[in-house]
Amino acid sequence: MKTPGRLLEKKVQEIKDSNEFSVRSSALPTWCPGCGYFGIHHALNSCLTELGLPLHEVVIVSGIGCAGRYPFFGGTYGLHTVHGRTLPVATGVKMANPSLTVYAVGGDGDGLAIGGGHLPHIIRRNVNVNYLLFDNSIYGLTKGQPSPSSPVGTTSKASPFGTIDKPLNATLMALTYGAGFVARLFAGDPDGMKKAFAEGTRHEGFSFFHIYSTCVTFDKVNKTWENLKHQVRPLPEKYDPSNLRNAFHTALEDDFSLGILFKNNSTT
Amino acid sequence: MQKVDVTIEVCGMAGDGTIAAGGLLNEAMSAGGFSVLGFDSYPAEIRGFGRCVTRSRIGSYEIAALCDATQVLISLDEEQSISRVPYLVDSAAVIFDNNPPAYVDESKSLVARLDPGMALFGIPLSDLASEAAGTTRGRNLTALGGFAAIFGVSPDLFRKAISEKFASKGQPVLDANLKSFEAGFSYALEQFKDRISPIFGVLEQTPFPQRVMISGNQAIGKAALDAGLKLYFGYPITPATPIMEFLAKQLPKTGGRVVQMEDEISSIGAVLGSYYAGVRAMTATSGPGFALMTELITHGVMAEIPAVILNAQRGGPSTGLPTKTEQSDLHAAVFGGPGDSARIVVAPTNVAECYEFTAKSFQLAEKFQTPVIVLTDFYLDNRVENLPLPEASAGQKSEANTYPDDSSRGNYRRYADTESGISPRSVPGMEGFTYTATGLEHTERGTPDYSPENHMTMTRKRYRKIKGALGDLPAPQEFSSGGRLDVGVIGWGSTFGSILEAVNTAVALGRNVGALKITSIFPFHEDVIRDFMERSREVLIPELNFSGQLANLVGRLHKKEVVRLNLVTGVPFPPSTILSEIERILATGAE
Repeated sequence: MKTPGRLLEKKVQEIKDSNEFSVRSSALPTWCPGCGYFGIHHALNSCLTELGLPLHEVVIVSGIGCAGRYPFFGGTYGLHTVHGRTLPVATGVKMANPSLTVYAVGGDGDGLAIGGGHLPHIIRRNVNVNYLLFDNSIYGLTKGQPSPSSPVGTTSKASPFGTIDKPLNATLMALTYGAGFVARLFAGDPDGMKKAFAEGTRHEGFSFFHIYSTCVTFDKVNKTWENLKHQVRPLPEKYDPSNLRNAFHTALEDDFSLGILFKNNSTT
Repeated sequence: MQKVDVTIEVCGMAGDGTIAAGGLLNEAMSAGGFSVLGFDSYPAEIRGFGRCVTRSRIGSYEIAALCDATQVLISLDEEQSISRVPYLVDSAAVIFDNNPPAYVDESKSLVARLDPGMALFGIPLSDLASEAAGTTRGRNLTALGGFAAIFGVSPDLFRKAISEKFASKGQPVLDANLKSFEAGFSYALEQFKDRISPIFGVLEQTPFPQRVMISGNQAIGKAALDAGLKLYFGYPITPATPIMEFLAKQLPKTGGRVVQMEDEISSIGAVLGSYYAGVRAMTATSGPGFALMTELITHGVMAEIPAVILNAQRGGPSTGLPTKTEQSDLHAAVFGGPGDSARIVVAPTNVAECYEFTAKSFQLAEKFQTPVIVLTDFYLDNRVENLPLPEASAGQKSEANTYPDDSSRGNYRRYADTESGISPRSVPGMEGFTYTATGLEHTERGTPDYSPENHMTMTRKRYRKIKGALGDLPAPQEFSSGGRLDVGVIGWGSTFGSILEAVNTAVALGRNVGALKITSIFPFHEDVIRDFMERSREVLIPELNFSGQLANLVGRLHKKEVVRLNLVTGVPFPPSTILSEIERILATGAE
């Protein structure tokens, strides 16, 4: 599925005209056409523009996987580390120079499997890092193996008879570990993401963004655009994000309402 | 001046205050102006029935190693001390409790096992301590009092050491300890007045005044502080933990932070993150933790991010022998991890070098944009030596970064293929020099690129850069009269002190032998080592590992087959074993 040259040229021109190249690098993302990560990329770029952060004072730390390539496509400082270690590396960057704005980005394999042990600890330390977990419940870059957030019964080349392991709920995990800012978002909702990213970036302390996304190449049944589009909905208008009990209730009972589930106003 | 060279052991059961007594002995003798080298061995269990032994070698000349023979044994537990009898010289002096609190069975009696020629000094340690201070807890100090009296050491040296050690515990504790000491001192002075042997008291002047007792780990911690360390990330592991504990107390005073991370992987990750952002950071670990770090260390190699990693080696593989010394991580340090990942590896051989190399490593890491591994070992970390208080040089404190110049703004090549291999490195916050550091193979601009030419070019660049560090690394130091040698001994790490001791003894016996000390493990000075091998009829490499890891690395420099002498006993290399091997080679030639 190669993008025809003239379409690519048109897209480049479009981006140039939108002035987004100030945030993006001249390297075009290598993600598959239709990938949910384009939406996340667009939303974070808009957030950076809106907040007016100088790009040379922003560091994006990534791990391995499709999401790992993220920093190459932006004009910020980037640190593409090894698999699963975004959070400790981001801890080092932020502690070394607290005036930097630090984002950690990674997929569900990077953040919930190999790197799953780091999440509770960065939350414990409440390092002021913004962590974007791109959750499409699949290992895309290694061609479609199940991930820790894949539903039971997921079939793939690595699980031809269907998986039997229960999926993890990243939102609930972050709340349980004690994160002070937890948002659940959808890659198909750039405005919702942008708003949450901006608010989370301003939040003094660790911010967790659990972002449902798609893998258009290897997932045709689970987190497809078609499914997600019908499943997700915004949190009720009168939802109070300062109420932790509510946040737990929402995370336990309802997998698909989107927005800022919890925001602790006290900073520690 | 009369030559003093005395090895003293204190031996007891865990809980007897053995280590404390050994420490006070070292402090007192150091304050007395002697060269002191001390090393403790204690069980891995926190509270158990383990044997504790401290060994201290006290000299009127610079002491390089512990020796194998003990002249004085201070026994706090008879049964445990029996194990030390084989190490005693024929004329050893033994101080023991002749009325211990618990009945000593004949089969467990120390005295029954001693040679007739030994000098016995029975002191009712428990009774005296109990009378003086109301508790037997200070009987270790009572024994020290006896020691001071018998060997003519000024009691003021001990009084001062005791006062300093117990000052923070409050006056009652301090008084009780001083009284326990005095009781032993006056008892021995009176009881053994005809047998006083003032071996330490006859010096006209103190050979090494103004020295401080410092352990390898303290030297490492102080060096890091002095060199401008800002962030320490670590995870508890024997024998590296004392470095973290030292810095936890000291680093905040200079505005730095110590963070106990969730594992060794995150520790090295945070160090790389910090250095990426331009701030000096380090971590210290031992073999098992180092193994976990290797993937990220090679990330530092590939992305060219500085880092300082200290590996305090212990017995391996796996969990191995946590409280025993070994030199078996050399291969892991030099080659560990995926791919062709050249990094700098240095290995100090004594406490003074622990300071020197740790302080230097921060600069090396910055200048060559690479992880620097400092290899120590349990013996080096935990032993104490008395030294003039070390200070970092101005050079070691100043940063050694190569920043991009203004002309490259907007056209920045982070990984420029320069002649030296060193490329200008920006740090976040510098405008116009943003880039992405990556563990993927990349172009000069940092863009991922797997083309054949690019991977060749960039691999060569990284190796060229590390090779270039040789100029900043100390060349091997030769200890010989020069010229041709019958046996040339090459060594590294804590074993080198034992080598020096053995070679000095052999030279004194008229043998034509010499030693070569290697502290730069990678890259290493091939020409110097090859020349030494060329001039030596036989080359001997003693190491505390089974596979001959330094021999594997440098042995190929010369067609000559090197003689390997490998021990994995968990204890410091005995100089006598090296001396015997030298004599064997001289008598028979190499095997």
